[in-house]
Amino acid sequence: MDRIIGRFHQCVAEENGTELAKIFSTKAPASSPNFFYDLRRASNAQHIDGEIHYSLTPRNGFSFDSAEVNAWAEVFVNYWKAVGEFIGLEESTDRGELKDGQYGEVYDVWKAFTNSLIKYHSSSVLPFWTIPCLYTALTDLRTYAIKADEQSVNAKGSINFSTGLQDDIVSSVGKNEKLEDYARVLNRVFNMCLQDRAPVEYSRKWGTYFTANLMFKTYFKLNAVSLSKNMVQAINAQFDMPSLYRFPRSEIVTFKYYIGVMTFLREDYVQAEQNLTEAWQLCHKSAYKNHQQILTYLIPCRLITTHKLPTSELLSPYPRLQALFGPIAACIRKGDLAGFDAALFAGEVEFVKRRIYLTLERGRDIALRNLLRKVFLAGGYEPLKEGQTEADLIRRTRIPIAEFAAAIRMGLGADGKLLEDDEVECMLANMIYKNLMKGYISRERAMVVLSKTAGMAFPGTGV
Amino acid sequence: MLSTSSGSWPQHSSTATTAFNAVPARRTLNQPGPVPPQMAQPQPTPKNKVDWSKAVRDYVQRAFAQENNVAGVSREEVQEKLKQVITAVAEKGMMDDVDWANHPLPQQFVLQDRRRALGVDGQQNAWPTLASHLADTLNGHTNNLSLSPSSKKRKSTDASLTEHPDDSVPPWRKTNNRNIFEDRITYANQGQANRVDKKQRKNKEKDNFINCKFSPAELEKRRQRFGNISTDVTPPWASPRTDPDAELKSGPVVGTCQELEKRYFRLTAPPKPETVRSLPVLEQTLALLKQKWRDEKNYGYICDQFKSLRQDLTVQHIRSAFTVDVYEIHARIALEKGDLGEYNQCQTQLRALYSQNLGGHPEEFLAYRILYFIHTCNRTDMNDMLADLTPTDKNDPAVKHALAVRSALALGNYHRFFRLYIDYPNLGGYLMDKFVDRERVAALANMCKAYKPFVKLSFLSFELGFENDRACLDFLVEKQAQHLIQDMNEGLCFQTGKAGMMFDQLRAQAFAKIDIKGQI
Repeated sequence: MDRIIGRFHQCVAEENGTELAKIFSTKAPASSPNFFYDLRRASNAQHIDGEIHYSLTPRNGFSFDSAEVNAWAEVFVNYWKAVGEFIGLEESTDRGELKDGQYGEVYDVWKAFTNSLIKYHSSSVLPFWTIPCLYTALTDLRTYAIKADEQSVNAKGSINFSTGLQDDIVSSVGKNEKLEDYARVLNRVFNMCLQDRAPVEYSRKWGTYFTANLMFKTYFKLNAVSLSKNMVQAINAQFDMPSLYRFPRSEIVTFKYYIGVMTFLREDYVQAEQNLTEAWQLCHKSAYKNHQQILTYLIPCRLITTHKLPTSELLSPYPRLQALFGPIAACIRKGDLAGFDAALFAGEVEFVKRRIYLTLERGRDIALRNLLRKVFLAGGYEPLKEGQTEADLIRRTRIPIAEFAAAIRMGLGADGKLLEDDEVECMLANMIYKNLMKGYISRERAMVVLSKTAGMAFPGTGV
Repeated sequence: MLSTSSGSWPQHSSTATTAFNAVPARRTLNQPGPVPPQMAQPQPTPKNKVDWSKAVRDYVQRAFAQENNVAGVSREEVQEKLKQVITAVAEKGMMDDVDWANHPLPQQFVLQDRRRALGVDGQQNAWPTLASHLADTLNGHTNNLSLSPSSKKRKSTDASLTEHPDDSVPPWRKTNNRNIFEDRITYANQGQANRVDKKQRKNKEKDNFINCKFSPAELEKRRQRFGNISTDVTPPWASPRTDPDAELKSGPVVGTCQELEKRYFRLTAPPKPETVRSLPVLEQTLALLKQKWRDEKNYGYICDQFKSLRQDLTVQHIRSAFTVDVYEIHARIALEKGDLGEYNQCQTQLRALYSQNLGGHPEEFLAYRILYFIHTCNRTDMNDMLADLTPTDKNDPAVKHALAVRSALALGNYHRFFRLYIDYPNLGGYLMDKFVDRERVAALANMCKAYKPFVKLSFLSFELGFENDRACLDFLVEKQAQHLIQDMNEGLCFQTGKAGMMFDQLRAQAFAKIDIKGQI
């Protein structure tokens, strides 16, 4: 106990929030595995409060006013209580016999600890520089919430049947009780940070993006991505918010990444590309996993916005991404429709898991465009008329639908036999509608008439 | 498809073959069941008195005989089980078929139940043991449930559902035994809340007092005195309750209402048992409603009736194949009438019910779900749904069709979409009707940009999946595109080249407002 108070005193004297946060750890330091046991044995439930109060007096070099003493005492007492649960958790885990709802109990005590921090931050009793304590408390609380929910789903299944006055038999599906509770705790902290009116140098506003990123994470996990929108709006509505670029770079990258994914899922690919690209550029060069994560969304995004595929140099450092995008990108490049369908099918589980399936699916248009472009190139040039020179050569721009149909049928392989002529027309119409091909279909002549302007028949591809 | 199997009703089959475990807790003489429509009436008219055969009477004698006592099985439990056994047989009309002389004794059933409760208990959690709830609700009687392992198990999962006004529960537990509606009640202050608690306790004591007066032993004596077991005796405490405090009791209601039809009202207070229909009645109700729907097609009436039916199932905690059946039928009727709000409610419930493996037609409704997400343009849910699909699901014809619809629309392949629209499984067409209009507009926007200078109306009509050219023409007129239709040498033609952006605008409008009422 004296040791922890000693460390505490040093942190307070130096106003070192990061070191202070380490004091309230949920794990015993590796150097002294018995630390938690010692801490528990140092006191008991009756005396802990008095002892802490006594320790925080000027006698030990502290210069707190009474409100701050009370605040820290409460924080320490709650921590001391939580340590009891940590010991229990560790012992049960070691024995491999976790009790039902044990993680839930740990969550509850750690939430009590977190709440005491929140309480005294809200009332500004605890100084702003101690906010890293909240960061670590919230980060750990999230872990416990997730574990508690996993445990309860394993124990009880994921359906709540109605017991009260509902009309229907099932009251809710999917149980994320603790994580939802956690989201509410987090929301309190977020709003507390966001709306702090203290001068900017002492402001808790500096905690905004850290908590915002935790909220993103939580909402994504809860499958409630849409809730993040409100949060982003709340940040944007704060006129006196310091610029994002004055925050730690790690927070910027995470924030930009989540904004990018959020807009990606809303199919706002332009916004998504912008944010993801920025995250990509700012991301620390050794943050391998983060790069990989960003590219997972940036690649499909660029496929839609600029029809660009990743080069093999880009993918080469990331075997996972190579496996994910390599085959499908190759098929798009070649205009191999059957291959594309096969690759999409093969990767379906992974794509769906990462929520990029519905976006990648649209890559088929690009594959088709590339195939049709080949037909156009194979069509050669219009014969030269009298007096024209090589420079006047223009490509043949009137192409019978049958030629495209043949190419698509070949491209589809076995499925091609089932393809009706009207469906071919429909696919061509789509190309024109989506500006992947410029021209029109003339039904009575059974022709596609492509743009004569050089480089405009298949915009962006040079022909 | 429309089975009203009574096998889903645990109570009737209280013989040794059932998967649930019948907790021996029944304490009253009334039986919920198809037989006694009289029981709910305040003044019972004595009929249906049965003279039990000698064999049965001997069996009863044997059950209570001293030499057949089993340690750990109380007289009450034996009596309870005995009644269940006899009732079950009587209800099947097999009184004369059973070899009573060699029939296993009730105490053996009790032991068997306990063993089963210790072993496979998975099913049990999903089934509220209605028999015990009945006893609890009507009686609030002391029993040794909490001593038997089966009830312990039940308590752990169902603790909030059942009150055990058990004398063996220590007083400090009792006060914590709050009723489940409590969190819905906003008390003005703590004092008020405490008062309610006190009132409830008082009420409980009153119940216990009643039970002292009419102890099972006395009832048994009385029965022996009359030499028969009549199902039509309504004890005074089973008559409609007027004490409002009694309604604060938790746990599933056990319905006593015998009316087949009932109007739907949203509950604002716990339902009274006499307004709730028991399962056998509900089964008849469903049959009646199906008939009525076939005959009258009055959707307003049917929907209302189904909602009250669902409500009765919910308050009685009935989750069985019958429940699935009810929700499926209501969902289909709602689909047929295009009532997506109601349909979606049923769908949400069905999804949870299917996860309990209660039977039904999960693939059919999975296909509807996919089509529904297409209608609402819900990409998030669509992705989640794709993530949940199993290879078996993907091989189901209905699911295949729905997935093909999804992929056709995702790629803008209107040709394939309208072929799928014309040829659909089950009731998928009703759902597709909901978005076919906007897809036609989208396809037109597409075609107007791609085809120059015109296309034949017959081609348009075919590509857009119209029944005939006339219908296509009507559609175009409705979209105020009549000026684009021209009579040419080739017949009626549609001037795609002159349409400009008009269908793009219509398309944007159509996709901007998607009615998703009832979406949960």
